[in-house]
Amino acid sequence: MDHASSALITSPSRPSGKRVQLMATCLCDAFYDDVAKATVEVLEHLGCTVEFPEGQTCCGQPAFNGGDWASSRRVVRHTVKVFSGDLPVIVPSGSCAAMIFHGAPLEFEKEPDAAEVTALGNRTWELADFIVNGLGVKQWPGRYAAKIAFHRSCHSRGTCSGPASLNLLSSIAGLEVVPFGEGEQCCGFGGTFSVSFPNVSAGMGNLKLDHIRAVQPDVLVSGDMSCMMHLGGLAEKEGKPIKTQHVAQILRDALKNA
Amino acid sequence: MALQQIDQFSAKLRPETRASVYDGSKKGHEKRTSVLFDHYPDPDHLRRLAGNIKQHVVENLDTLLPAAAAALERNGVKVHWASTAEEANAAVLAIMRARNATKMVKAKTMVSEETHLADYLGKNGVECVETDLGEFIIQIDGDHPSHIVKPIIHKNRRDIATSFEKNGLGAYNDDPQTITRRARAHLRKKYLEADVGLTGANFVTTDTGRLVLVTNEGNSRFCLAATPCHIAMVGIEKLLPRETDLGLYLNLLARSGTGQQLTVYTEFISGPRSATQPDGPEEMHVIFVDNGRTDALASDCREILRCIRCGACLNVCPVYRQASGHAYRSVYPGPVGAVLSPLLAGERFPELADLPKASSLCGACHEVCPVNIPIPDLLLRLRNRGKQEGSKAAAAGTPPMGAWSLLASQPFVWKTSLLAGNSLNYIPKSLIPVPPMQTWLRDRTLPAWRGGAFRQWLANRPTPPAAK
Amino acid sequence: MARQPAHPARRQIKPASAPSFLLLAPMPSPRETLLARVTSALAPLPKRAPLPNWDNELVIMRQARGPVDAWTFFAERLKAVNGTPLASAAALIATLTQGGWKHGYCDPALWDELRPTFEAAGGFNVETTFDRSRIDEYQFGITAATAGVAETGTLVLSDRDTSRRLAALSPWVHVAVLRRAQIHIDVPAAIAALPQDPNVVWCTGPSKTADVEGILIEGVHGPGIQIALLLE
Repeated sequence: MDHASSALITSPSRPSGKRVQLMATCLCDAFYDDVAKATVEVLEHLGCTVEFPEGQTCCGQPAFNGGDWASSRRVVRHTVKVFSGDLPVIVPSGSCAAMIFHGAPLEFEKEPDAAEVTALGNRTWELADFIVNGLGVKQWPGRYAAKIAFHRSCHSRGTCSGPASLNLLSSIAGLEVVPFGEGEQCCGFGGTFSVSFPNVSAGMGNLKLDHIRAVQPDVLVSGDMSCMMHLGGLAEKEGKPIKTQHVAQILRDALKNA
Repeated sequence: MALQQIDQFSAKLRPETRASVYDGSKKGHEKRTSVLFDHYPDPDHLRRLAGNIKQHVVENLDTLLPAAAAALERNGVKVHWASTAEEANAAVLAIMRARNATKMVKAKTMVSEETHLADYLGKNGVECVETDLGEFIIQIDGDHPSHIVKPIIHKNRRDIATSFEKNGLGAYNDDPQTITRRARAHLRKKYLEADVGLTGANFVTTDTGRLVLVTNEGNSRFCLAATPCHIAMVGIEKLLPRETDLGLYLNLLARSGTGQQLTVYTEFISGPRSATQPDGPEEMHVIFVDNGRTDALASDCREILRCIRCGACLNVCPVYRQASGHAYRSVYPGPVGAVLSPLLAGERFPELADLPKASSLCGACHEVCPVNIPIPDLLLRLRNRGKQEGSKAAAAGTPPMGAWSLLASQPFVWKTSLLAGNSLNYIPKSLIPVPPMQTWLRDRTLPAWRGGAFRQWLANRPTPPAAK
Repeated sequence: MARQPAHPARRQIKPASAPSFLLLAPMPSPRETLLARVTSALAPLPKRAPLPNWDNELVIMRQARGPVDAWTFFAERLKAVNGTPLASAAALIATLTQGGWKHGYCDPALWDELRPTFEAAGGFNVETTFDRSRIDEYQFGITAATAGVAETGTLVLSDRDTSRRLAALSPWVHVAVLRRAQIHIDVPAAIAALPQDPNVVWCTGPSKTADVEGILIEGVHGPGIQIALLLE
């Protein structure tokens, strides 16, 4: 790892192509099946053949962030085994993608199988990043008539995912992206952070919600359902629910109006 | 399951304090960003370069430190070495005793906060007066700084006016101008009476032996114009290899810290006053202080020693903004403090091992750092170390991960659990005896469990259209 | 708040645990002790980070590239930090008169040049010695600058050229006399030309603080008015 900088930097030579493996993420597996479906449909619309390795579970991030690297490495080793081969791995989550290309290599620095872990990272793409920078799609067809607020999740800091998502969304007919205050700030989720620091986490989330509500969007959109689960959950508990969607769902729904 | 200490502190914070901290940090961050990006086409390139140069310094301290000391000595500076806080304080006192000095005026230095110098000198019969306005207010209040650059970011003008009144600095008046003028008049006498002026250093040039200080108020300059002896306490990591590197660091430090192109005063000090100059120290001492830095140097987090103490990571940090600096229980708060404080604590690392947990790992600190320190990575390494060393402080409120990792490494168990989880939808969530879940549900709802639904859809749908 | 000292007593080297014959050897000096810790911390590193070279062009502000002359550029940037550029002794007299600043100090080496204008204006009490026991009586101090930095509106003072550190610092108004040829265009140029002097100070605008609620207050410990006086 570069001693000076290890920001979330994706490998410059990630493989592209129309045969891909899908890492659906544990959140989609448990809660957000429609996001995973939308991801498949969007990729198939682009002509991709999507393989879903059945043995997949989780990227290992909860234990990694919690400081229990031994437990996390167990899960990462499993993930590396499940996603064998050399196809691009597509993840509808900036956070899980970053775990694979950045977090996992960090916790494997001193491990004998570090190279295999890094190799998986070097073929892993966040969904919007893959569509725009892997497949070269600049313009999204169809129509989606709504005013949306786009939450750039923190794990897209320094990667191409944020700009890629914004460009795709902005290119959709009828769709207006409205900026909101302190857009660069975190929503307060942070995985286990949200339960070990519940007061700080809720404080951060409510601040974000205030900024979002101020611009009155029809939908709050992100490339990470973890942020949406947090913000959506806070808003609903407060009795003022907001509609949340994943970028993939917007892209898929736009196609319906093509 | 006990909560994390920083979270508990935040929950009890006065709303006015949170508002002061939030407003002050937000303003600082916005100013930094507009100035840096307005002045430079690619500030990130500068941050990476500055990080690389400082990394060179950190990894070559064994040769650069003796070189810097030799350069200072050539300039007529007496160099002292202190491995511990106690040794550093004792060195200051010894210099003062040798001069029969009893009064010190002091500019802002974080190292002296580390060593609790003012308390130590007070106990040894030396009057030590803080002269930076914020630090002066901290001192008369018996408080502690809560920000590296803006020590009283947690106070509003009413708090300050009250403490001025209590300390005999005039009737209650919360006009910032009046507060400042009163401090000016009060401290002016102190400078002129003092025997010694003490400062820190922002940089020390290794090739030319210049100590560089950046300030805005002019207090350090007054210390060096009015007193006959100058003592500088300097962390061993403050070196720059070449004088010309100052062009990079001065430009980055002020913009990152306060959003200025340069601070008002940048002082380049290379020794006692010249023979023709009537004002200023006839004697100059530099004390190189370790106080845990070599522990940090030996660790896998040595990048933190690049830090130039600008405070940009505090200003941008959403956790700092919610919790305030005092929540961190140490001299260095915020993201840099969450890394540096436990490392400097040496054997007491486990007691402060909860600090690295106080981050959502959002990465904003790394994004603004003028020396590009990968703070989130260092926080993660320290979390792992806290777990390995069995820190109770770090473990508080953290869900255990061992069982989860077994679940997530066995596909059959995983898939079974996904389906079993559907029962969650049929029992009241408030009855589920999982503490992290109850914590979550206090402020948030959970979406409906749809475990296995995606896999089912995938298995049952008609064969997808062939690739175009 | 209850607050623990953040940094514990650090491990001391215990000579008692050394074999007795070593007690005869001299104790390591504080310097040797500290440097030994540094050396041992770095010993496991397989290689050391190299020292990159860099180009001064990188840190020069975009706005710094105007076709204007150095003084015009300097004056513009000084105003941006609330400083006061003046281009003649007459302008100085006008400014001091307007502020009601009548009593001050002037570097004796500059007084010959300024005296006629002050005497013609009348009503000023200018001393050419500075008495630190009457520090608050001086409303202004006139001293020589060593240089200026245009890009930042900075005045450079030094022990060699600035007659009294205190006279340039304690009066409410500081006047630094600058010559056109002394102006460096940008920060790297000024760094390259740092005088060989034990005390060089760059002053960029009046002394200020934002410690109280982030509100800008000028004239904290040093001058509230910073004047650059160009004398041809």
